[in-house]
Amino acid sequence: MRLLLIEDDEALRQQLVTTLVDAGFVVEEACDGEEGLYQGKEYPYDLAVVDLGLPKLSGIEVIKGWRQADKGFPVLILTARGRWQEKVEGLEAGADDYMVKPFSPEELLARIRALLRRATGWSQSQLQCGPVGLDMTAQTVMVDGAKVDMTAFEYRILEFLMLHAGEVISKVDLTEHIYQQDFDRDSNVIEVLVGRLRKKIDPNNEHKPIETLRGRGYRFAIARNTESTA
Amino acid sequence: MTLTRRLLLSASIVLFVFLGLTGLVLDRAFYHSAEESVRERLRGQVFALLAAADFNDQHGRLEIEEPLPDPRLSSPQSGLYARVFSSSADIIWKSTSAIGLTIPRYTQADVGQWYFESLQDSSGKHYFSQSFTVVWETSQGQQFRYVFQVLENEGVFNQQVSGFRNALWGWLLAVSIILLIAQGVILRWSLKPLRDVAIDLDRVKAGKEDRLSKVYPGEIQGLTTGINTFIDSERAQRDRYRNTLADLAHSLKTPLAVLKAGIDKETHDEGGSATLHEQIDRMKQIVDYQLQRAAASGRTTLGTSVPLLPNIERLVASLQKVHLEKRIQCDIAIDSQLVFPGEEGDLLELTGNLLENAFKWAKLRIRVSAAAQMSPEHEKILRMTVEDDGIGIPLSRRDEVLQRGKRADESVSGHGIGLSVVQDIVNVYGGSLQIDSSKDLGGAKLVVFIPLQ
Repeated sequence: MRLLLIEDDEALRQQLVTTLVDAGFVVEEACDGEEGLYQGKEYPYDLAVVDLGLPKLSGIEVIKGWRQADKGFPVLILTARGRWQEKVEGLEAGADDYMVKPFSPEELLARIRALLRRATGWSQSQLQCGPVGLDMTAQTVMVDGAKVDMTAFEYRILEFLMLHAGEVISKVDLTEHIYQQDFDRDSNVIEVLVGRLRKKIDPNNEHKPIETLRGRGYRFAIARNTESTA
Repeated sequence: MTLTRRLLLSASIVLFVFLGLTGLVLDRAFYHSAEESVRERLRGQVFALLAAADFNDQHGRLEIEEPLPDPRLSSPQSGLYARVFSSSADIIWKSTSAIGLTIPRYTQADVGQWYFESLQDSSGKHYFSQSFTVVWETSQGQQFRYVFQVLENEGVFNQQVSGFRNALWGWLLAVSIILLIAQGVILRWSLKPLRDVAIDLDRVKAGKEDRLSKVYPGEIQGLTTGINTFIDSERAQRDRYRNTLADLAHSLKTPLAVLKAGIDKETHDEGGSATLHEQIDRMKQIVDYQLQRAAASGRTTLGTSVPLLPNIERLVASLQKVHLEKRIQCDIAIDSQLVFPGEEGDLLELTGNLLENAFKWAKLRIRVSAAAQMSPEHEKILRMTVEDDGIGIPLSRRDEVLQRGKRADESVSGHGIGLSVVQDIVNVYGGSLQIDSSKDLGGAKLVVFIPLQ
């Protein structure tokens, strides 16, 4: 999951980046509104965390700019003031949730995960597609009720594919959402990781959860369970 | 008493006194001149009679030649009568018209003197009487004293006078009505700028206008400029205050956020980290509470107001977005004409905190309603109610919830501080906050009362 964080306070930004990276997100940072607006318009993000009190361009202007440019990724706003006027303006500008400073890292992560699920149409933090279950909070994967151990990158790929279950995800998309910008895009690491993932969650090759569409990318092929069964 | 009433009343009094006196003077003048003309006419008749009279030596008495000078004297009951009296007050001649006339007497005047009076006959009718006393000397040198009297019915005169009076007072009334209307119109027109200022001030109060923006006449320009300066400076001061608070919040809470995010990494001792979290949360609460409280501006001197419904709808739409997954059904029952007697910021803070709690606790339904009503003290108050179908607030905790900065439930952040901020804003506006149970929905019911005037 690739996140954009716009926060002008150096110390807080560094800590948030550490927290988010530790939680398995790919994080790009911006320290003022103009830079943030540009990055959000130019690169694909799954979510943005925006402080409202930014130099050069206010957080609200940044969000409006993205929405005008048809950027639909979820936005979480951070506000120091916590005035309702600010929150309402932010939400009306196109943000999806707000947090008032100071907040605990766990709360921030929980809100980010909830927004990511919501944006992809999942309503619970346990994603369930047939026998494959993924708990976004605990970051665990279960197949037929048995826990499957996996590396951080394997988990990230599975999480991304399952969140977008049914959609075709290109290799470039996958790379961008899983790795930092400076990653070598031509390498076939993704192919290797997907191959390992298939063996782990479908050792007998009976469910075929991850399809390869030649020249187009990957698709998580098992349909989402409806909420009542999840 | 309003200015218009004062001016209208004083002008009307002056107008009525003036026109009344004019009427009286005209009435008197007309009456006198009419009476004078009657006198003249009757004198003429007396002269004509004198001319027609001749002393008949053969009969030894005065005779009046026929035909009489005025034909009316010859026809009975014509209204004009003539009589001649001897020195012993016997009637020695009377005109044909005077047959049956029952006026008994006349006032005797000196020789060569006119006497004008009003007499009454036995049936109460009034007559003008002009009498003239003459001494007739016969060719034998005898002297006879006669009194010539001409009478005229007062009816015609009275008709004339009353006709004039009716016309006079009628016209005067018409003139005063026209003058009053003209005066009213002039007053309205000249006081219009003042009314405009009042209307514009109301618009400023209602939040429809920022300041008094029209061009007003020179006399009140000073006043309106003063009001504008006052509005501007009050606004500027409030904005400066708000910005200072916002800066303060930002500069206090960002370091707190850094601290909070950093604790877990820096401290490995479990107990120490818990204490730190607790202390930071306390600091956050104090900062939140004091800043939100300080930001409540309350009623401004000019008293602005903002429409209630659109602001509630904004908040509900925003909160629906945040709590998208709960799919809460929120019913709003607020008249679109209803206003909140204060600033938009305060309204959003007040209702935002109430609604945030409702959305946090509600399972499926929230109901927001507001209405203007009369308090037991007969004051107009705004009553806002937010109800939900959550677990509600137990009786034993209601006081605690309202206390400064306390939380009703430690596990849900922000609850409690929201309600005490609501309580504070309500207090600033001189209103009150009630915590109750919703009979219909089963959860908490928060009722806010705000005086409207």
